Amino acid sequence: MDKAISFNQVTHTYQANTPYAQNALDNISLEIPTNSFTAIIGHTGSGKSTLVQHINALLKPTQGSVTVYNRSITPTTTNKNLKELRRHVGMVFQFPEKQLFEETVIKDIMFGPKNYGMVDAEAEQAAIEAMKLVGLDKSLSEKSPFDLSGGQMRRVAIAGVLAMKPEVLILDEPTAGLDPRGHKEIMDLASYLHDHDHITIILVTHQMDDVVNYASEVVVMDKGKIVQTGTPAEVFADPKWVYRMQLNLPTSAEFAQQLIDAGVPIGQLPLTIDQLADRITELARKGENPDD
Amino acid sequence: MKDIIQVKNISFNYSGQPLLFDGLSLDVHEGEWLALIGQNGSGKSTLARLIDGLNVLKKGQIFVDGLLVSDQNVFDIRNKIGMVFQNPEDQFVGATVEDDVAFGLENRQIDREKMHQLVKTSLENVNMWEFRDRIPANLSGGQKQRVAIAGIVALSPKIIILDEATSMLDPQGRQDILDLVRQLKEKNHLTVISITHDIDEAASADRVIVINKGQKIDEDIPGKIFSNTEQLARIGLDAPYTAQLIAALKRRHFDLDKEYLDREGLIAWIKQLVSTK
Repeated sequence: MDKAISFNQVTHTYQANTPYAQNALDNISLEIPTNSFTAIIGHTGSGKSTLVQHINALLKPTQGSVTVYNRSITPTTTNKNLKELRRHVGMVFQFPEKQLFEETVIKDIMFGPKNYGMVDAEAEQAAIEAMKLVGLDKSLSEKSPFDLSGGQMRRVAIAGVLAMKPEVLILDEPTAGLDPRGHKEIMDLASYLHDHDHITIILVTHQMDDVVNYASEVVVMDKGKIVQTGTPAEVFADPKWVYRMQLNLPTSAEFAQQLIDAGVPIGQLPLTIDQLADRITELARKGENPDD
Repeated sequence: MKDIIQVKNISFNYSGQPLLFDGLSLDVHEGEWLALIGQNGSGKSTLARLIDGLNVLKKGQIFVDGLLVSDQNVFDIRNKIGMVFQNPEDQFVGATVEDDVAFGLENRQIDREKMHQLVKTSLENVNMWEFRDRIPANLSGGQKQRVAIAGIVALSPKIIILDEATSMLDPQGRQDILDLVRQLKEKNHLTVISITHDIDEAASADRVIVINKGQKIDEDIPGKIFSNTEQLARIGLDAPYTAQLIAALKRRHFDLDKEYLDREGLIAWIKQLVSTK
């Protein structure tokens, strides 16, 4: 598989050359394949946000290099060379609705594309498409973004990023503070963009259920290092290790563990509710026909 | 049981907008942990603001610990209520953690010596005394929320309202804050109103009131509320995990006459199900 993004021995030091110098990333090497749905997990302060901010060069490595679609970012890359790269890598920050500022929804969404050189008509077309993509009704386009609900505002902010037609979309805790319906809408949107528009998705999250339900690859960070990469099943295979990393298990795995502790022979930990229900069904059938 | 808050037939709208509440009534019992659940925009937070006298009613009355919420009583009422919001950063005023907790006390002209003692006890209560010299902005989300709670506890309120107070925290941080509030509730005999869309948080409440589009559509113990999975889905809330697993097992043709069990109950049932008959 093609690699969309690679980190080559990247170290990032905050407040370098001061007594407060601190390595937020410590000699990281990582490859993220094209069109993967990669979840980045790790407890608060483990370096997740610092890592993803290197992908669109909001931060530059103190040592090492990052390559995104054959464009290289090194400690000496100048800002002038980054504009093109940033068009390819869309970044949705936590609480992106706080960055809305225009008078109308459509103007807010057009801001990014215009900034990257599209003429008005082109930018408007891109904005209309992006609104459709995130499920915002056309009738909202002339409204003030500040009159919308929280979930809608967030979708306006995401549409503003999608209007630039990025190949990589970074979502940093995109559902924080949303109610369950809003949460599902945003996660389903990420999944749709991945499956339908073949956008490489990088999701920073604390929600392990989203990791097992949506991600194909997982990167686990701890103290500025990558401590594990693999599929969700590989990463959650050892509950003790997961807890040591100050992470949670997905809800079904956690409940399965409680069943095991209560003496139910579940065996290998299921990750989703259907896997757990299947396993219980299997055990119950055995109970009915002990000779099988 | 005494009703510490009585909401009587209230109507309210934000200016230029349609009525959010039109004849809403509900009671909060003294000493209970009440969860108010509903989608974003259902009116839960507005209700909390009305109880605290932050917005003015169009019709109806609200009583807090026997006092009518009105311009005259608003300061007495706010002395009885501590509000913890989603984003504690919006409330910090002090340069250090200690100053921030002292702020509310300074406003109430409490004796200096007594104030120091109160700040210390309050920060110790939330395990943040060792952070007293830190700048609030540099703390983690959970630590910030602890400081906000210390500031509230220092004023010894009778009622604590948690308005989505844990929704920005990671799962561990969320559990820590809820455990902390539960301890404080027992110790100080508080009434807790938790406004939330986290069903698993609501599952541990004494009682649940469901608000949808400004109306109270249900009130009961969590077990009853969560048995009604259709209603939860209709108003855009998740069923609790155990109810989801029960539904998944029923789809696999298991005969279970309940829609909801708590974790212990469901574990016991599954244990029996899989044991050799």
